[in-house]
Order: sequence, then structure tokens, then C-alpha cells
Amino acid sequence: MAKRLSERCRQVLGRHGHVVLVAGLMAVWALLGPRVAAALLLPVWVIVAQLIFLGSFEAARLRRRAWLGQYLVAASPWQRWLRGGLLMALWHQGLAILLALLLLVKLRLLPPVYWPVLLMSLVALVLIQQLLKRRLQRHVIGEYLAALVRRLLVWPAGALLALLLVLTALWLPQPYLVGLGWEEAVIRHTSTAAGDGLLGAFERFGQALELTQFWAMQNALERHGLGQGLILFGWFLLLLTQSAFAWAVVRLAVGADALRDTLGHFRNAGRKDAP
Amino acid sequence: MTSMAEPLRRVPAAYWWLTLLLVLTLMLALGYGYRQLQERSEAPLFRVVVNGEALILDGESHAALGQELSVLAGRLDLHLRDEMQPWLDARLDTAFAPLEAAIPEYLDWHFSLRGSYLRLAVALGGDLDEWLEAQLNERLLERSNIAAALEELEADFGARLVEVQQRVVGEIGSTLQTRYAPRQAAARNEDELPTIDLDLALEGTLQGRWDEARWGTAGAGGIVGFAAGRALTQRLVAGTAMQGSRALMARIAPRLGMHAARSVGAGAATTAATAPSGPMALLAGTAATAVALAGFAGTEYALLKAEESRYRDDMHAELELELTRARAEVRQALEAAASDWTQSLERSLRRGIHDAEEAAQIPSQYRILGSR
Repeated sequence: MAKRLSERCRQVLGRHGHVVLVAGLMAVWALLGPRVAAALLLPVWVIVAQLIFLGSFEAARLRRRAWLGQYLVAASPWQRWLRGGLLMALWHQGLAILLALLLLVKLRLLPPVYWPVLLMSLVALVLIQQLLKRRLQRHVIGEYLAALVRRLLVWPAGALLALLLVLTALWLPQPYLVGLGWEEAVIRHTSTAAGDGLLGAFERFGQALELTQFWAMQNALERHGLGQGLILFGWFLLLLTQSAFAWAVVRLAVGADALRDTLGHFRNAGRKDAP
Repeated sequence: MTSMAEPLRRVPAAYWWLTLLLVLTLMLALGYGYRQLQERSEAPLFRVVVNGEALILDGESHAALGQELSVLAGRLDLHLRDEMQPWLDARLDTAFAPLEAAIPEYLDWHFSLRGSYLRLAVALGGDLDEWLEAQLNERLLERSNIAAALEELEADFGARLVEVQQRVVGEIGSTLQTRYAPRQAAARNEDELPTIDLDLALEGTLQGRWDEARWGTAGAGGIVGFAAGRALTQRLVAGTAMQGSRALMARIAPRLGMHAARSVGAGAATTAATAPSGPMALLAGTAATAVALAGFAGTEYALLKAEESRYRDDMHAELELELTRARAEVRQALEAAASDWTQSLERSLRRGIHDAEEAAQIPSQYRILGSR
């Protein structure tokens, strides 16, 4: 019984090891001291950006291929020219780098309360992925199944996580900023625990952004004169930051899956070629 | 079989290097920008000691403080005048009150029988103006003790000015402190910051002024003495009513004989006794005058009384007007002295701040009162 359970455990771990790895990476990054984190910023940034890039690049190529297959003759050289090369890669690299930065900074600032939400939604992501796979298996060309599942996964998983994050943000206690000037609020509540380096600056900037959002929402509710614009701005900031973070997390998990898939494919190909 | 999905998976390893390159570039650029920003925001930190507290200000707040201090220093004059004016008015009132009160008494004497006779006698026998001046001085000024009162006022004015100045300068310090204490910046190496001791500059300014203040009011004192002294009596005598009263004498005089009349009319120092008409004429003249005076006593007293009622009110008003003018002059003199002094105080305040900044070796673009 216990043996079977552990085997099942290993099976799950083997199939979803990438998600566990991603969660572990995020947790370690969040727990690092400011100095170590500042020193490790470059490699972690590169790894995370590359993972996000892999997922989104794959999805972009899939989209492009569908379009090309729809309109172009199969033998046309345009098929090769337009399938997505350096330009597409650069665009997705840029996006991935920015998302990775946002993710890393946000993780450093994340209160521990968010972690159960994060882990829960990663589990949900795995479940949705399995569900999708099972549902699509009979209908989708086998070669594209995994890639398509990943593409379809991003929206529901990302929306779920974003919703949970927004609810948590609204449920959590906020610093009391009513009646304070914006500048004063930011100066008073920005912690100086972060280091002096680039990461520290980003963290302070992230804190300031969060405080701005709280400030706008609280003061718009209190002072009716300031009203509409401010509350819209506050909500916009809240939704933007939380959904961007959610999007980055899901993309990271998906990218890790894509990388795993690619590596597994190459290994299989190598094994096939060997004899 | 070449898979249809093959190109999807074929992501070259070069993309890892591309990511590394991009991230590295971004980090370098952002790091550089951040350092620049940090340097710019950290470079001009100053420690300003004001009202006993050391405030650490960044360049912007420091400049704002400098501007405010400059404005406050520029308004020192106005501020002091506002503070001093009510006090000075009250003191001038008390100083001049006995003098004004003494006017009716003097007029009583002036138009009394005795006074009239004396005036007539002096008009016949000498310079009436000079005598009247002496009388005014004795009966009006000395009796009311105006000179002593003004001297006291001078001394008090100086002391009061210094006191008010001290308070006003102290207020400048505390105003700046309360305005700028919440705007302090955080500094890591506080001791290395250039320190500007405004307290020292302000205090030094006041210390230096103390002696000068006495000199300053001594200068004003000359003017006060002038206003309270002979010039005032001269002006009092020169009033038209006084002159009218004097003309009355001239009209009465013809009854006393040509000789005396000429003497009165000219208002000169020539007397009947010294007229160049020989000993006999002298004797006759004197006798005639004496007779005429006796006659005057009998017949003209009513006329005198009538004239008195005609001139007395005018004279009263005139004397009061002159006193008001003298008062205004004293006031003006004191205020001018105070203003001079305040201006020199302001100058030395600027000099003190300049010296303090010089001592702290502040770069010229961050100096409080410009680079002079």
C-alpha cells in the first residue's frame, strides 16, 4: 500500500516535476537574503526570462503556423521565411525579460499569506492541464497536443490565479493611508530593508507602486471630491499588477513544461537514433 | 520521419545567450541610470543648524530654506516697524502729554496782567523774541520736563529695539525649524556633511549689533535733543498767533510815544534808554514812557483782555500744532535710526550666513543667499 503510494508519488513528481521545480525556484528566490538575492539576480533573471520566453515563443509559432498553413502553399519558401525567426524571438525575449523582472520583484515583496494561494493555483494549473489533455486527446493531432494544451492553459489558469490574487489583496490588511499626501504615504511606508543595488531599487519601486494603489483606492473612497479618476486608477493598478504577476507565473510554469517537453523529445530522438 | 511539429521545438540554444545578453544589457543600463539618479539625489545634502536642531536637508529643501530665510530677512524691517510702532506711539504720547498739559498754564501766564506788562516792558526795553523764547523754555519745556522724558524714551527705544530684534530673529529661526524639520532627508554619513550654523550666524549678528545699537540711538539722540531744545522754542515763537500777539504790542505802543513805538515795531535791541538823542532826550523819553505805562495800566486793560480772547485760542492751537510737528519729527528720527540699524542688521545677517557657508565650503550654486 505504502509502496504503491510512493510509486504514485514518484509518478506524479515525474510527470509534473517542472511545476514543482518552478514552485521551488520561486520559494527559494523569495526566501533569499537581500545580499544573496542581489548577487543571484542575473542568473535567476536569465533563467526565468528564458523559461517564459520558451512558452510564449512556442505559442507564437503555433499561432503563426496555423495562419501560414491556412493561406500559403505548403511548398512555398515563404513558409520558412515567415514561420518566426529573430524578430519574433526578440519581441518575445523583451516581453519575457520584463515579465520575469516583474515576477522576481513581486516575489520578493510577496507576503507569506499569498503562498498557499500560489501553490493552490499551481495545483489547479496541473489539474486543468490534465483535464484539457484528456479532453483534447481524441480530437487534436498528436504532435500538437502538448503545445495546444499549453496554449489553451494560459488563459483559464492565469485568470484563476489573477482572481485569487486580487481577492487576497483586497482581503489582506493594508497600511492606513487615508488623509495622507501621496508623497508622505510613500516615504513613510517604503521599507529600507532592501539592499542598495539594482534589485533593492526595483523592490522599492514595486513597494511604491503598491502603496500608490492602496493610497488611490483608500483616498478615493474617503474623499468624494477626488472621486472617479482616482478610484479607477487604483483599481487599474491593482488589476494590472496582479494579473501581470499571475500571467508571469503561469507563463513560467508553461515555459518549464515546454522546455521539459523539448528536452524529452530530443532525448527520445537520440535514443531512437542510437541503435 | 520529420515531425510536423519539429520547428516548434527547434529553439536554438543561442536564445539562451540572447536572453543573457539582453538581461545583461538591461541590467547595466538600469544600474547605470540608478547610480546616476542616486548620485544626483544624494550629492547635495546639507546640515543646517537652526533653532538648536541640526536639520539634514537635500539640495532642493536647502534652496527653499535659503529663499525663505532671504525673504524673512528682507521683511525684517517691516516686521520690526510693525512691532515698534504701537509702542513708540504710546511712549510718545506719554512723553508729550505733560507738555501739552502745560500749554494752558503757559497761556494763562502769557495773557495775565503780569505777563502782559512784562511783555510790554520787554518789548519796549529789548528783544521780545529772545525773551519769549526764554519764557517758553522755562515755563513750558522745563516745567513739563520734556527733555528728560525724551532722553528716557531714546534709551528705552534702543533697548526695546534690541529686544524686539532678538525676538524677531529668534522667530525666524523657529519658523524655519518648524517648516523644515519634516522635510529632512536621511543621511548615512552625517558627520561628513557640510554644516551651516545658522544659529551662530543669527546670534553673531545680534551680538555685533548690541554696541552699534547704542551708537545708533546716540545719533538719533542728537535729533531728539534738537527737537526738544532751542529749535522747538524758536518755532513756537515764530507761530503767527504769537506774532499777532506781538503785533498787539505794536499797536498799543503808539500811545507810549514815537520813540518806544519805533523800538517795539522794529523789534530790535534798541531801547528808549540807549536812543541816540542826547542825555536830555533820554531823560524825557524815559519819563514819557513811565507816564505812558501808568496811563496804559489805567485805560487799556480792557483792550488787552479783548485781544487776549482773540488770540488765545489761535495761540493754543498753534502751540499744539508745533508740538505735534515736533513729535512727528522725533518719531521720524527714531524710526529712521531704527531703519538704518535694521538695514545694517540685515546686511550683517547676510554676511554672517555667507561666512558660515564659506566656513562649510558649500559649492557656490547651493549657497543660501547666492554666491557673493
